[in-house]
Amino acid sequence: MQWCNRVNTGLFIASPAMYTELNSILNTSPESFTKGDFILLSDKQSDASFLIHHFLSFYLRAKCKVCFLAMVQSFSHYSTVSQRLGVSLAQAKEKGQLVFLEGLQESLSILIPQDEHTGSQAMNFLRDPKLGLQDLYEFVSSKVKRSCGGEAESEEWGPPVLLVDDLSVLLTLGVTVGAVLDFSHYCQATICSKLQGNMVMLVRCDQEEDEGDNESPACLLKGLTHQSSLTLDVQGLPTGYCRDIHGQVEVCWQRRQGDGQNTQNKLFQYKVHDKGASFFARGTSSAVL
Amino acid sequence: MLPELLKDVEAGGLLIIQDSVRYSGRQLLKSFVKAALNREETVHFIGFEFSEDELRDGLKGPFAKRLHIHSAFTDPLGWTDHPVFTVHQFNAEEITHLIKQTSHASAVTLVIDSLSWILRHVSPSVFCRTLQQLRKGGAVRAIVGLLHADMHQKGIVGSVCHLATSVITVAPGMKAEEAEAKITKRSKSGKVLQDEEIFVIKEDLSVIVQGKSHQTEPIQTGPEEQKMDPTANLTFNLRLSDAERQAKENLSLPFVFSKEKKTALLHSGPSSGRILYEPDENDDYDQEDPDDDLDV
Repeated sequence: MQWCNRVNTGLFIASPAMYTELNSILNTSPESFTKGDFILLSDKQSDASFLIHHFLSFYLRAKCKVCFLAMVQSFSHYSTVSQRLGVSLAQAKEKGQLVFLEGLQESLSILIPQDEHTGSQAMNFLRDPKLGLQDLYEFVSSKVKRSCGGEAESEEWGPPVLLVDDLSVLLTLGVTVGAVLDFSHYCQATICSKLQGNMVMLVRCDQEEDEGDNESPACLLKGLTHQSSLTLDVQGLPTGYCRDIHGQVEVCWQRRQGDGQNTQNKLFQYKVHDKGASFFARGTSSAVL
Repeated sequence: MLPELLKDVEAGGLLIIQDSVRYSGRQLLKSFVKAALNREETVHFIGFEFSEDELRDGLKGPFAKRLHIHSAFTDPLGWTDHPVFTVHQFNAEEITHLIKQTSHASAVTLVIDSLSWILRHVSPSVFCRTLQQLRKGGAVRAIVGLLHADMHQKGIVGSVCHLATSVITVAPGMKAEEAEAKITKRSKSGKVLQDEEIFVIKEDLSVIVQGKSHQTEPIQTGPEEQKMDPTANLTFNLRLSDAERQAKENLSLPFVFSKEKKTALLHSGPSSGRILYEPDENDDYDQEDPDDDLDV
């Protein structure tokens, strides 16, 4: 809501690169980015959704075919925020660049069936969580594969990208951690490995870690971290709320081709602005210096 | 102990590499694959977590044809039509069949990446039984598996590790490229050996042990002390010649209370001050009690 309010009062001015600092930290740009990456976003007592907005606009700008599974917010929400970041979701959708699964609306049509047409098969796990996420995977793979098929539009868009906001919601809907890990594994095999695309997933992890609990978001996060190639962990400041520094991001490369083992961690502080966010080394906020 | 394990996993052995989110044991697993291939053994690799290309990366060479990869990466559950290997095929008969199908070599090492993936889909008791059957079945000489210990409950990790003849637990080391390995090895006689080593994995997957994790510091600082002389390039002199030493010894220090000083202080010379007191007329001086005026 905070985003929406801000957006509606402001003017839409498109400026080309809002997250240049983050891009330079990750050593990437819409023109050239590593393919086959699984980027895992996580947050703890904080909000990492600004990173989802970033990656959404980043990959749309990079001319990738984007499949977005939005489980927590409506299309209009993402659309207004993206507008602010200089990207039009509606246009991208029209052009066929963006496939947008609006989880909220789909689930409504399954939970309260009103007409004959009862939504797509993708959200079948809501009918019976034991089924797992095979249908959701098939939805994703059909969308991304079509883009790489022999059709005319395939020439237009680059490698496929899957974005999920957020995976931990599935746990509250009754899906097991194992099923979510299976889903992400299949997506990784198809998108990252076979089609050389990228994947960005967000996991919210607010609870304390519980040793005996095998179905907690913390457990999901661990499993996904083993799969991922890059993790961005957003945390609040350990010293408490601050007006000029909204929190810190821990960037961790899990593995890299070539030199194999490279678990290099970096910690940055960030501040989210109206349009984009700024990242800086610890203690070097402009409000402090 | 790590190089010995790399050199040879004992026949009928089960080696488990335990890792966590903090440090991935996959490179070490690949090192074991390469070591086995270098020993002219046939390696069967059941891979769930990474694609075949990624596994082949770094394992190229003349021995590559002795590496058989059964990739379960693309379709581990049979969701699509053409699965190569699914997790449901994880039982002794299927795997033995698979191995017999492709090779007739006697020394076969089975490598599983990772046991965690299978444990998520197979019940622990079935899983342990299958591992045990494979070890005793005779089709494979040794089994090497990777286990993400932080993804399972402690009890399950414990019972799987009880089956193993060797367990290597890896963790990040102090420096970026270094890692720490805690090794537990059970020999056939029942003797348990434990060791902790710091190692580095080179790009060609060779493992170099840097030292024992606890004894590294004294070992490293010992020779360094001999090499470096801290008094080598000083701007002042630390040593004394004989003459200098004598001069130093003859000098009496200001705070030393010598005999001369003592007498000088007790018998003051003629120039020193003295208190003279002549009683006034008004002074009421009592000879018998000189302290009468003190009001005691």
